[in-house]
Amino acid sequence: MKKALVAALLIIISIPMLIAVAAMPPHGDADSPVHTHVSARYIEHGEEEAGAENLVTGVLLNYRGLDTAGEVIVIFTALMAAFAVLITHPGRGEESGPTTAALDPEPGTEPESDSKAPPPISPVVSFMVRLLTPFTTLFAIYVILNGHVTPGGGFQGGAILGGMFIALTIVLGEDKVRTLLPRRAAPWMQGAAVFAFVAIGVIGAATTGYFLGYPTDASLHLVRELMMVVIEIGIGLGGAAIFATIFLQMEAE
Amino acid sequence: MSLTFDILLLLLLIVTALAVAWTKDLLAAAIIFSSYSLMMCLLWQHRGAPDVAMTEAAVGAGITTVLFLVAIGRTTRREK
Amino acid sequence: MILTTDIRDAATIVIAIFGGVFFLVGTIGILRLPDFYSRTHAATKCDTIGAGSLLLALAVFNGLEASTWKILALVALVLLNGPTIGHALARAAHRTGLDPWHAEEG
Repeated sequence: MKKALVAALLIIISIPMLIAVAAMPPHGDADSPVHTHVSARYIEHGEEEAGAENLVTGVLLNYRGLDTAGEVIVIFTALMAAFAVLITHPGRGEESGPTTAALDPEPGTEPESDSKAPPPISPVVSFMVRLLTPFTTLFAIYVILNGHVTPGGGFQGGAILGGMFIALTIVLGEDKVRTLLPRRAAPWMQGAAVFAFVAIGVIGAATTGYFLGYPTDASLHLVRELMMVVIEIGIGLGGAAIFATIFLQMEAE
Repeated sequence: MSLTFDILLLLLLIVTALAVAWTKDLLAAAIIFSSYSLMMCLLWQHRGAPDVAMTEAAVGAGITTVLFLVAIGRTTRREK
Repeated sequence: MILTTDIRDAATIVIAIFGGVFFLVGTIGILRLPDFYSRTHAATKCDTIGAGSLLLALAVFNGLEASTWKILALVALVLLNGPTIGHALARAAHRTGLDPWHAEEG
């Protein structure tokens, strides 16, 4: 009965969706609204107007810069929400010993988790991760810095960097990785994307009068590129720090 | 040829999505979801969106899977 | 000139078919072999030699260009990663106490 109801509901929902799909213009149609509105201008003038060879980056950071800034702030806020759930004791570290004990709801659960200690990491895997780490880091930096020329950018490079961090944490343990991402520096790293956007936005507001405004003069081409690269670095570092800390927080006892 | 490849990828996407929904073993579901992300990544790349494909490969197939595995390790493996 | 491109094409075809055969054999192995360890062994062969030689075929097909070196770097990455993953899988299975398959059981 319940299943039949679900199936009926799904069919009822799917009918308007299929009608909407049938009403869509054919794929690749040059006269469809998507291609006649703003994207024609982006494709024609994007390179000299936005200052990025990679059109996607141009749209993300220049034409739709405010949207990307908002997106970055949303991600940062989501991280804060996740931390509110994940953190069971203050992240301040050693000096908050008594508070930790007070906040720990069931002290009896500790021995059980100790008995399930993970097996030692294979030396082969450990060696491979440590061997590939410099190359991965180089690739991530390349993706971040080259985002305005080739596919890639802050989000992609940051995800690669964060993945490398997670692999290193699994292999080396939390303590050693914490030297790369100290507790005091972590919040600043997580907010790097927001800081970069606000800083560049304020600089743009001071020079051009618009928040996130880029200099449009052709002679200031390098300045514009530098502003984009700063934002990309901020997004990359912020993304990597967010991924790494979520993982560290989930792994932490 | 190109369209055939797309249709094949879309069919695989549907199959993996259904498999994720139907699998009771959450560990297997996380791994199948990772392969779903891989299909999605290939599809993005093939439709000419390499930026999104890179994000999908790094975040979808990589980091989310690890986070899912950690979460499963902290909770239970079977869906109730 | 025609001769060199012919040789290159022939080498590409040979290496690609070699990789394809490895993929085919490896996939049959994953489907047909009896236990986790032997299936891991088949999958690792697929990933390492199959993907490695297909990438090598692409590099040969490309000739001496900038992207060829990127493909060769990918080959090196595949050759390093494949065996490591196979090792990690088999080690994890062994550590959790999975017994290998014996002929008398089946």
